[in-house]
Amino acid sequence: MRKPLAWGLLCALSPCLSRSLLAQERTTVGGYGEVHYTNATGPNTPGIANLARFVVYLAHGFNDRLAFRSELEVENAKLEGGKAGGEVSLEQAYLDYRVADALTIRTGLVLAPIGIINETHEPPTFNGVGRPGFDHDVIPTTWREIGIGAVGTIPGGAGLAYRVYLVNGLKAEGFDAVEGIREGRQEGQNASFTNPSFTGRLEWARPGLKIGGSFWYGGSADTNTAVGTGTFAAPVTLLSADARFDLGALALRGVIANISIGDAEAVNTVFGQSIGSRIAGGYLEGAYDVLHLLAPASSQRLRAFARYERYDMQADVPTGVTRDPSLARRITTMGLTYKPTWNVAFKGDYQLVRNAAGVGEYDVLSLGVGYQF
Amino acid sequence: MIALTLLLLTAQNPAAPPAKLAASIARLFGPDARSDTLRVDSARVLRVSRGDSLLGFAQVGNVLGKDQPITFLVAIDVADRLKDVDILVYRESYGGEVAYEPWRKQFRGHVAGDSLRVGKEIRNISGATISVHAVTLAVRRMLADLTAWHRSGAIR
Repeated sequence: MRKPLAWGLLCALSPCLSRSLLAQERTTVGGYGEVHYTNATGPNTPGIANLARFVVYLAHGFNDRLAFRSELEVENAKLEGGKAGGEVSLEQAYLDYRVADALTIRTGLVLAPIGIINETHEPPTFNGVGRPGFDHDVIPTTWREIGIGAVGTIPGGAGLAYRVYLVNGLKAEGFDAVEGIREGRQEGQNASFTNPSFTGRLEWARPGLKIGGSFWYGGSADTNTAVGTGTFAAPVTLLSADARFDLGALALRGVIANISIGDAEAVNTVFGQSIGSRIAGGYLEGAYDVLHLLAPASSQRLRAFARYERYDMQADVPTGVTRDPSLARRITTMGLTYKPTWNVAFKGDYQLVRNAAGVGEYDVLSLGVGYQF
Repeated sequence: MIALTLLLLTAQNPAAPPAKLAASIARLFGPDARSDTLRVDSARVLRVSRGDSLLGFAQVGNVLGKDQPITFLVAIDVADRLKDVDILVYRESYGGEVAYEPWRKQFRGHVAGDSLRVGKEIRNISGATISVHAVTLAVRRMLADLTAWHRSGAIR
């Protein structure tokens, strides 16, 4: 009763008051970023300092149910006409309409809800200066496409949440053996909707524990009839499972994924590539907060961690391709993450980058800072 | 000026749907509990009773998550122990796990002045970190306010 009265009074008294206040609109700015210093072993590999990411998060709540959210990213500090490097891109830009806790309709440029890092990629949330290699080569992070879907918690209090989207598909034209499906992403730029694809995730959470399962299914032939015809030609099927266990001082996480690429032989023939018909692997990571022992009262964290990644870009190959053992990668990362507060991290790590062929192996020393707000 | 202040408060503090608030009070104090609104400074506190006996107090607040306010409720019993936390409206795109009972129940039984820190007494949920920190801090403050008002006789 008080509200309409106050609003009525106010509308009469101060016509200059902003419309957004009256409609309970609200704009929020946030962001995250990271600076890396990396030094790899080997000839002609000087240390490199790079402002890897600078991201502005902009959100607007139109009313209690309708909100817009976006992330605008600058990679590698700048881009200049005619020169290589640098990227400006939208990582997310979508509208949410909250119908109920169990159902929010989401549409726009959305993150594929796969694995851990693709959706939760703010630097203080993961150990190691760079994102895991697995989250570049196997799950092509940051993977976002345009579509529509539903998200929500499943009623009943079981701790289950879901996200499902119908989005534009991948384009096989971009696939290659070294980076898998990565360059097949369309990322919201004039994306072809020839192969509508489905992606989704179901996750279960308890305090300190989150377990998730994700999928992607859709064709990738686009308009190239030599690769295949039909909505689901050259289908990409991804299945992934992940877990994050946070025991206070001890934190464990792991992800596995399996990607099958149908009609891989046709893709290779048409585009002159040597992609695998299956890409598979995962990683396990353990971290211990040293300050839990040294300064139990402190809210700061000093995490010592180790991660082992093992994945094969050619776990299986189609006819006509000989497996390249250098694509069976093993990356071991050891390092420290110092967090003076939960949303700022200073990082240092040492990586052993290996493969089954034993060729082109190297080590990398990395230092970095990251923040989010 | 009063109208402006009221409006600012209203605009920045989206209200909880009355039905959700009533359901929350009924769940915490029983279906026959009666609640009356008390005013303390600019805050509104619900006094919950049954017959002649006081059952406790509850307050509704808002705290900013990543980009939207999270509307929550804190209830205390007559001994100023935290009875429960309820998430009445959650508007963020991620982090809705703060509404899950296994997470909320970590607060039960705590009193003002207790240490309530994320990663120590209150366990985090991966992917919900921003909301976990925001709600934990807001609950700690609201528990301190309710307790201070009750002890000073501002609410009784």
